[in-house]
Parts: sequence; structure tokens; C-alpha cells
Amino acid sequence: MELALIQIFNGVQYGLLIFLAASGLTLVFGILGVINLAHGSFYMLGAYLALTLTSLTGDIFLATLLGAPIAVAFGAAIEFLFVRHLYKRDHLQQVLLTFALILIFNETQRILWGSYPHSVPAPSYLSGSISLTGALSYPVYRLALTGICLALAMAMMFVITRTKIGALIRAGESNREMVELLGFDSRWLYRLVFASGTALAAAAGMLAAPVESVYPGVGERVLIISFVVVVIGGIGSIRGAFLGALAIGIADALGKVFLPGFASMMIYALMAAVLAIRPGGLFGRAA
Amino acid sequence: MIRNPTPTVWAIIVVLAIAAALAPMWLGPYGVKFATRIISLGILVLSLDLLIGVTGLVSFGHAAFYGLGAYAVWFVSPKDDSADLLKALALAIGLAGGAAAIIGAFAVRTRGFYFIMVTLAASQMLYALFHDTRIAGGSDGASIAVKPDLVIAGVTLIDFYNRNSIYWFGLAALALCYLLTLWLAQTPFGRALQGVRQNETRMSALGFETYWFKLTVFVIAGAMAGLGGLVFACIDGFVPPEALGWKQSGLAIMMVVLGGTGTLHGPIFGAIIYAMLEEALKSSGIVGATIADHWAIPMGLVLIAVVLGAPKGVAGLLPRRAAQKLTPSTDEPRIVATTQRLSVENVGRRFGGLVAVDGVTLSFEPNKVHAVIGPNGAGKTTFTNLLSGALPVSAGRIALDDEDITALSAAAKARRGIGRSFQRTNVFGDFTVGENCAVAAQARRPGVLRFGADRLREAEAVGFALDATGLRERAQIRAGDLSHGEQRQLEIAMLIASGAKILILDEPLAGTGPEETRRVMDLLRALTLDHTIIIIEHDMDAVFSAADTISVLVGGRLIARGAPDDIRRDAAVREAYLGNFGMERAP
Repeated sequence: MELALIQIFNGVQYGLLIFLAASGLTLVFGILGVINLAHGSFYMLGAYLALTLTSLTGDIFLATLLGAPIAVAFGAAIEFLFVRHLYKRDHLQQVLLTFALILIFNETQRILWGSYPHSVPAPSYLSGSISLTGALSYPVYRLALTGICLALAMAMMFVITRTKIGALIRAGESNREMVELLGFDSRWLYRLVFASGTALAAAAGMLAAPVESVYPGVGERVLIISFVVVVIGGIGSIRGAFLGALAIGIADALGKVFLPGFASMMIYALMAAVLAIRPGGLFGRAA
Repeated sequence: MIRNPTPTVWAIIVVLAIAAALAPMWLGPYGVKFATRIISLGILVLSLDLLIGVTGLVSFGHAAFYGLGAYAVWFVSPKDDSADLLKALALAIGLAGGAAAIIGAFAVRTRGFYFIMVTLAASQMLYALFHDTRIAGGSDGASIAVKPDLVIAGVTLIDFYNRNSIYWFGLAALALCYLLTLWLAQTPFGRALQGVRQNETRMSALGFETYWFKLTVFVIAGAMAGLGGLVFACIDGFVPPEALGWKQSGLAIMMVVLGGTGTLHGPIFGAIIYAMLEEALKSSGIVGATIADHWAIPMGLVLIAVVLGAPKGVAGLLPRRAAQKLTPSTDEPRIVATTQRLSVENVGRRFGGLVAVDGVTLSFEPNKVHAVIGPNGAGKTTFTNLLSGALPVSAGRIALDDEDITALSAAAKARRGIGRSFQRTNVFGDFTVGENCAVAAQARRPGVLRFGADRLREAEAVGFALDATGLRERAQIRAGDLSHGEQRQLEIAMLIASGAKILILDEPLAGTGPEETRRVMDLLRALTLDHTIIIIEHDMDAVFSAADTISVLVGGRLIARGAPDDIRRDAAVREAYLGNFGMERAP
């Protein structure tokens, strides 16, 4: 029972991290209409930025603050160089080009950081565990991580539901042409959305670095899980991605303990179940 | 439409095949192994092109079937003895095809992005099964100690201990698969698949159960990929779970696009070029140590250049064959035939609180032109959708002569001879005019497994439709290249070819010029010889001059019905039109 409780905590924390990654993916697909396989690479970028910047500054949070603008700039550059050519292309070409980007990013990562796994220290002031009940304790950094992810998620929802930029993003999700007809420069909007998505994925990678080790394929698992979350939540739906990510996180964490060997399969089974009941995902328009 | 390659391309293929057959004579052991891997990938990408290029199903999990085929060899292999090749073949094809049937049953219900994701998730599920559990060596992969052989009556016919025999076996399998897919693509079955790729909604409207077509081709492609996996397992003697992972699927997609989708030979070229390029970029003797160490970067750049610069792939640079000749006109006199009577009784349709069609009762006299008119939002298109079965009715009854057909689907109604065209032009742009009619004619018997036969009756139906609509001379032209008016004519020709006797035409004159309008209306009048025509139209001049009866819908209700002259004099109609909208000319 206590194990289950711990795993639920872990699942929520993992789910929130996945949400940060998946929200960028769902926005990029919903608004830009681009399937971005290289999205996992942005998570990996974050993980390695955390590695380098933490060793420079000595603090993961400082590293995250420094890393975020780097990720935004990186995302904007990738959008300008490659992704913007894909807006009017079919899915096949999007898959191919972003797959090619993965090849390039993975190799670049190997050149810059090598093939060995690394670990990133949690800050000393958050290093201990706190006891929740008599026999139950939980690492402080993981709690802090959960809080930060939750805050980021809420900040993003605030931007999307309450600000003018958010209104444009929502409008773009439901009708791209209309936004352009209304006189907004969609190139600017697209670049902003893509760069934000990149930064969110990178932020997840940075914050997760002290919890999981930093290694070459770190983004790929996140990529596949994020796609599952996007499909479960419904394409373009932030709310759906949030619920989907939490469900996946908890299912994965519980599965690891109670059905070892079948945890990953459970995730896909969950997706199949959701699609069987709601073909467009939880909050999506019908497929 | 996929056709046999041009002589130039055939020449390339034959030369390549002969060179490949003789290759073991000068390739070293490493060369043969490398070439066999390309062959196994060739089978994989060929089967994937059947999905992507022919049917338009972008599967991101196709390697799952390749991997299953490979694992099948391990499953049948005893620990320290060779497996029976026939058993290995049966299991590889059966396991992959069976898995494709199960996965496909779910996946082909979805489209576009969802299809990509569902196939991806399904293959990842299988990957997790082989990677996270110990069923076949787990994450370490499965080693096949002794390779399969084929022994019949004590005589060893094929022994995969010999590398060359795997190579030749694989090459023969690839050649067979290529010829099979090339033939398949040109059968009525393959033509329907290509129709699904171009416009699935239209195919359903024609009466094809597209689900079964997609599922069948998914299973065929899966089984074929399993065969590729068998060749891979036999040459390497080792199967890693990554063989069915998403990167392998991505690689296969890459080869298909690199070679050129929808050409069948293109993807095989793509596999060869990709493998050779990777090998060249990895060898420091050719590109220098620095690049060889980081070969993935130039490889990625080449692929990006292909996507942005040559989206049609390598095969796009080679010539393609033009349309085939059609059988000549039968020139027989038109058969005069009466059609059945379509009638509706108290038919209604509600969308939530909105009543779009409200208690309409109408009967459509056979062999006449009936027009349904009404101001915008009168419920005309909804009414058409109810007639054709595209929407179920909320109330009322639809009958064909005395038979109740209210509950029939659009496809079932199409088979009863009720065909409808759409407001937006909706022909298969990549097919010729003749092929458009042929796929429509095929819809009379839209069964899935139709690979031959019946060509004569189909040609007859096509010929009849072309003659009836005056498109005979345009039969060889790509439908996408026709003028707008001709495309509308082609839609009518397709309805006729499909065996429709009652033609429901939603705005057949939309966007046509005055000359074309007259031609289409003359065509409709001529068609009443053996058809009943129901048109929804805004062009009042055309309607009042050519229709036998006019029904007026306002706010979902039928307010008047009669001959054009009666409608002209009808007070309610005058009020509905002139009171609210004002027509170009008072009727």
C-alpha cells in the first residue's frame, strides 16, 4: 500500500514532466500541423544543458533559468531553418525531415558530450527526504520538482486561456486560415509556438536531470510517450494532454512495481482503450 | 494509377536483377551479407510502399511485422539444430500476417495523424514485449545457432548454412514480391486501394467498404514484411528487439520516400541507395575518418535535402508510363430502361435543437428530371444526404418502389442504384477519365478480393458511361487536367458507370460557365432515357427550363411541388423567394 502511494507520487511527478514535453508537441501539431519527431531531442537538449550549466553554476535551478532562453533560441532557429518548410507538406515528409533531424541531433550530442551516462546533482538544500507518515519518506527534490512542474503547467494554461497571445494560439488551433485573414502574421505566431514548445520540452529535460541520469537516448522514450499522451488527450488540447500525461505517469509508475515487464505495454493498452471509446482522444475533435 | 514500368525502367530493373543474381561470384563474404541485408530491407520497403504509396496509409509501425518475421525463425529453431525452412516460412508469414490482422483491425479505423500514432504505438507495444520480457532473449536479442534448411526425403535442397543460398533465396523472394505487388496494384483490388489513397470518402460514397480494403492490404503488407524479416534473421543469425522498434520503421519510411512513393520499384532503389550511402559514409577510406566517425550528420543532411529538393524521390527522376488504351466503343444503341420510383414519406432530420428537414413527403417519378430548390439554409443538402443515406433520418420512411430502404447505409443504397454527386467536385485526380469510370464500375461489385475477371462487363459499363456523357474522346486524359465543366460531366459519368439509375446531383452547375451549363443540362435531359435525375440547383434559368418537376424547400419544409409553370405561379414560393431573397429574374 505504501509502495503504491510512493508510486502514485512518482507517477504524478513523471506525468507532469511528460505533460511539459507533450504540451509543446500537441501545440505544434494542433497549430502548425507538423508532426515533430525531433521533439524528444529538445528534451535531450535540456538534459545536457542541465549537465553543463549545473557544473558551471553549481545549481540546477540557476542552470534551468539560463538554459530556457538557449532552448527558445534553438527552437526558433530550427523552425526558421527546417520546420517552416513543412507547413504545407504532407505527414510523410514531416516524419522524414524530423527523423533526419534526430540523426543529426543525436550525433551532435555524441560529439559534444560523449556516449557515457552522466548524473546531475540535486541542490544540497533539497537533498534530503521528508517523512510523510511514520514509515514513509519522499525525496525533497522530487517534491519540489512536482511543485515547479505544476506551477509551469498552470502558468502555461494561464497564458493560453487568459492572454491575447493565448487567444491567438487557441484561434490558430481551431482555424489557421482565419487567424491569417484577421491580419496576424502567422509566421511570427508559428515561430513563437514552436520555440515555446522547444523550451517546455527542454525545461522538462533540465528539471528531470537530477532525478534520472543524463544519457544519449534520453529524449526518445519521452518522444514516444508524448505522442501517446497527445493522442489520448486529443490533438491540440492542452487540457487533454494534462489529463493524459497524469494518467500515463501513474499507470507507468504503478505498472513498474505491480506488473514489471509489462509497464510500457500498459501505456499503449491505455491509449488503445481511450481511442476505442473516443476516436478523437479525450478532448479532440473526431479523427 | 500504378502501371508497369516504362521500357527504360524495366531495363534498369532487369540489369540490376541479373547483376544481383551473379553478384556472389565477386562479392566477398561480407559483401554477400551486406547485399542480403539490403534485399531483406527491399522486401520490407516494398511492402510498406503498398501501404504508403498505393493506399495512402502512412504506417509508422511496419517494422513490427519485419521483426516478428525475424523472431519467427528463432521460435521454430531448435537450440542446437537447424529448423525446417518451410516451417520457418509459414510461421514468419503467419505470425506477421496475423499480427497485422489484429493491429490493422484497430488501426485502419483511424486516419492521418491518428493512423500514424496507432501503428507507432502498436509496434512499440510489441517492442516492449520483446525488450522488457524474456520471451526471446529480452533486450539482449535472440541468437539463431543453426540456420534453417530445407530437407525433403533426406536430400538437402537448400541449406542456409551457406550464405549464398540465403542471398539467392532472398533475391528470389524480393523479385516475386515485386512482381506480385506490381500485379496486385493493377487489379481491381489495387485500383480501389489507389482510390482510397486519393479520396477515401468518395470511395465509400461509391459503395466500397474501404475498411476491408485497407485491412486486407495491411495484412498482405504485414505478411510480406514478415518474409523480409525471415531473410534478415537468416543472414544475421541474430534478432535484436530493435528490429521491430520505431527507428526501424522510420528507416523504412525514409527509404520509401527516398526512392519515390507509389512506384514499387522506387523504394527498392531507395533501400539500395540508403544502405550504400550509409556504408560509404561510414568507411573512413572513402570519406575520411572525421566524417566516417560522425556519418549520421551528413546522412541527415542528405535526407533533408531530398525532402526539400526532390520530394518525389529517385524514381521521380525516371520516366513514367502514360495511361493505357481503353477498349474501343461498343457503339451499340442506348438501351431505354425505366428506373425504380424513389419516394420519401414524412422524412425529417434534426441536429440537436435545429430541425433541418421537417416532415417532407415526395415521390420521384421514374425517368424524369426533378429539381429541388430553396433559399440558402432551406435544408436542401441535408435532404440529399438523407436520400443518399449519407445521414440517417430522424423520422420518416424512404422507399424504393415498395421496398423500405430507410435504414440502408450510403454504400448499400449505392448498390441499389441510388448514386449521388457532391457539391464540390470530387473526382480522382490521379486517375484518367476512363480509370475514374472503371473504379466506379467496380463499385457495382465492390467486394474486396477482386483480382481479375469481369473486365469485360466493367469495360462495357465504362464504355456506356463515357458514351452517355460524351467523354469518350477524353478517356485517356488525367481527370485532374480536365476543365471544371468536364469534371462535373465526369462525376455524372462515374455515377452512371457505378450502375446508378437514380442520380442525385448536388449543384451540378456550380462554377460552370453558360456554355457548359447548357451542355450539362442537355446531358441530363438525354439521360432520362434510362435514368431518373434529382438535382439540387441554384441556377433558376436552368432549373425552370429543364426540370419536369420542381420541389421547393423552405426552412426544412416542402412548401410547393409541381411542374415549372405551376411553381412559377405559386404564391407561397413567390413570397419565400421574392419576399426574402429576390431572384435574378422573377420566375
